[in-house]
Amino acid sequence: MAIPTHWIVTANFTEDGAVAWRRADGSWSRRLADAGLLEEAAAKATAAEAAQTEQREISDPYVIEVHADGTTIDPLTARERIRADGPTIRLRRPDPGASR
Amino acid sequence: MQIIRDRAIVDDDYVHVPDGVEPTPGQRPIVTLARLGKETEALLARFPVLGVRVPSDKLPSEIPALDRLALIAIELPRFTDGRGYSVARMLRDRHGFRGELRAVGNVLRDQLRYLERCGFNAFELTPGKPLESALEAFGEFSVTYQAAADDQRPLYRRR
Amino acid sequence: MYQYDEYDRRIILERAQQFRGQVSRRLAGEITEDEFKPLRLQNGLYRQLHAYMLRVAIPYGLLSSRQVRKLAYIARTYDKGYGHLTTRQNIQYNWPRLVDVPSILDELASVEMHAVQTSGNCVRNITADHFAGIARDELEDPRPYCEILRQWSTFHPEFAFLPRKFKIAVTGAPGEDRAAVRFHDIGLRIVENAAGERGFEVLVGGGLGRTPLIGEVIREFLPKRLLLSYIESILRVYNLHGRRDNKFKARIKILVTALGIEEFRRRVEEDWEASRTPELELPDHEIARVAAFFAPPPYEDLPPDDRALGLTLGRDRELGHWLRNNIVAHKVPGYSAVVISVKKPAIPPGDVSDTQLDAIADIADRYSFGQVVVTHTQNLVLPDVKTSELPRLHAELCALDLGDANAGKLTDIITCPGLDYCDLANARSIPIGLEIAERFDRIDYLNDVGDVSIKISGCINACGHHHVGNIGILGIDKRGVEFYQLMLGGSPGNDASIGKILGRALAQDEIVDAVEKVLGRYLAIRESPDERFIDAVRRVGFAPFQEAVYGSAGSSDAGGD
Repeated sequence: MAIPTHWIVTANFTEDGAVAWRRADGSWSRRLADAGLLEEAAAKATAAEAAQTEQREISDPYVIEVHADGTTIDPLTARERIRADGPTIRLRRPDPGASR
Repeated sequence: MQIIRDRAIVDDDYVHVPDGVEPTPGQRPIVTLARLGKETEALLARFPVLGVRVPSDKLPSEIPALDRLALIAIELPRFTDGRGYSVARMLRDRHGFRGELRAVGNVLRDQLRYLERCGFNAFELTPGKPLESALEAFGEFSVTYQAAADDQRPLYRRR
Repeated sequence: MYQYDEYDRRIILERAQQFRGQVSRRLAGEITEDEFKPLRLQNGLYRQLHAYMLRVAIPYGLLSSRQVRKLAYIARTYDKGYGHLTTRQNIQYNWPRLVDVPSILDELASVEMHAVQTSGNCVRNITADHFAGIARDELEDPRPYCEILRQWSTFHPEFAFLPRKFKIAVTGAPGEDRAAVRFHDIGLRIVENAAGERGFEVLVGGGLGRTPLIGEVIREFLPKRLLLSYIESILRVYNLHGRRDNKFKARIKILVTALGIEEFRRRVEEDWEASRTPELELPDHEIARVAAFFAPPPYEDLPPDDRALGLTLGRDRELGHWLRNNIVAHKVPGYSAVVISVKKPAIPPGDVSDTQLDAIADIADRYSFGQVVVTHTQNLVLPDVKTSELPRLHAELCALDLGDANAGKLTDIITCPGLDYCDLANARSIPIGLEIAERFDRIDYLNDVGDVSIKISGCINACGHHHVGNIGILGIDKRGVEFYQLMLGGSPGNDASIGKILGRALAQDEIVDAVEKVLGRYLAIRESPDERFIDAVRRVGFAPFQEAVYGSAGSSDAGGD
């Protein structure tokens, strides 16, 4: 039996470009776990509306499909997992230990 | 309707006349390119001040009676469609067009300086955009590097 | 290097001002993201998966130590302490906030730098040979023409909204093209005609991406003074006739292919006849004015060989490897060009920390007349180092983790940012590069395999230049899972060739093994240790490598997934 999926709305914060997920109450969170789960049609409508009305806070909202078991939300694609978790590699070169 | 002409906000003294509608005597009509092509002499005879609206994919060679038109309006269907910039420059530089060159369609404040440098001197901004603050766009750059319709000399000839 | 005068400075300051206004209007909601996007792109500001990304222009890759310090400062103050060197000789920051970008642009303007037109459908950074001005095989320094083209293209009002991006590269060395001019929208080669006159061979329509193509000659000889007017005509024909209906068919190479080079040339020359004005001609005095900025630094009069160096070689094996692999002959006796490899296992290729940048600025001051060059292979070059000082320099670089002797070797890998960063990507590229670098991080193996380029892209946009890698890897998306296409035989220089796919796409846990098998097969079949990887591939063809990777039964048709 296929695991049921849900849909969530995501975007990027205009001010700093960080990933944004839309909570059920319409506010935007920086955490995937806070995303409000919707049916596909409702999610798409919400994203379209947000694109018109919420430009100041977020940019380019769209919808993604996820698995949700009540405790965690798990996107279906590598891309969205990386979007949620951050780059999979170490960010900054460590400073070399030897003296200069 | 208000437009920007020669860096000032003015009332538009032209009227866009769609195909199928008859322009009224005394008007300054802007007709479609298709119509101008079919009725060139008749229109010019009735309307001494005549304008044409040119789609974005047309070249200057496709505009009849260039030397007798008072106005050419070039369409920019999306502000990212840059063809009109080349067409304007060709009209000014190569064809010696001296009339009003107007940008219509999706025209935003942030393109005004570039459009002007290519030879446009009039602009119908996309509806809903404030005209007063748009005028600021003309003053944003005091120096230019390259030759364009507004000055044939690149900076290295002006240094 | 070029010094801004009051005009150059004013242009950049006014641009920063303009963008500050545009950012304010965006943040206030006065313009939409749709309207703002082309504006921010023309200032080099992308939005990636997790943050904005600012691409700073480094014209033809040349930096002064003062500029390097500023780049370090920006990394430290506005970003996460590092910058990324790109395959077009620029640097990018991965984590700036939109609110901070106007301040970053002000900082850049204070050292004569900017982010103008490093993105968007306009003319991008003009790139050149990273050994310009010092290479022994150079006919003439291309950098003055890069600078002239830079000024011509900056805020060019007619070509701000092209069908797609436009990239120009210039080379001054006829024998070896280190600028990959055949893979640019316009490529310029400085040549000499039968009368001894210098001018340009003009190539058009090269590029990578979805439709990799090698550029064609549109004009065999263009006198220098006609450079700008001719280029304008090429741009104008492209602006008027390039496709605007399909983003993936919008580059000039598509137009050139559709019309054929004869018809394309005819249209360009027709426009040129009608548009070339005396004012648009490049006068000798302007060429001389700009060229004066690239006059040679005050070289000392030195003997050609440093015999003491030979003694050092015997004592220090690591130094020996580095001298062999990372040092390039200089046209002035007693001097060398040094490739600083920033590539190291566990470090994403091209990443440099702020502390490293500050240290490199100091090193440039002490060893190389205060200049450093970014290469399109995501490394750095110190162009003018006294050969006698190489051992000391090597020691300093090693202390900074910048002394690896792998320039041009297997672990000198090019990767694009890929799915770890980039909104366009289908798969991650950096981890593949890191795994390859880690697995083969043995200097003896690197030297044994010799010159080979591995280039990895995370999507078909090919920012990793995988088409022209001796070994090219392209990340693809199969139903949300990352897979990799392996190709062989690409090369960006005078012997330009586009790599071919070897077989079916490989999973993430198969691709590095496949690279190892390819290398193993090369070592087995090469005629001698002197036969380079690319030459062996061209000699024996793909079958032995297909068999090595996929076995005799499982290769499926090349042209793969």
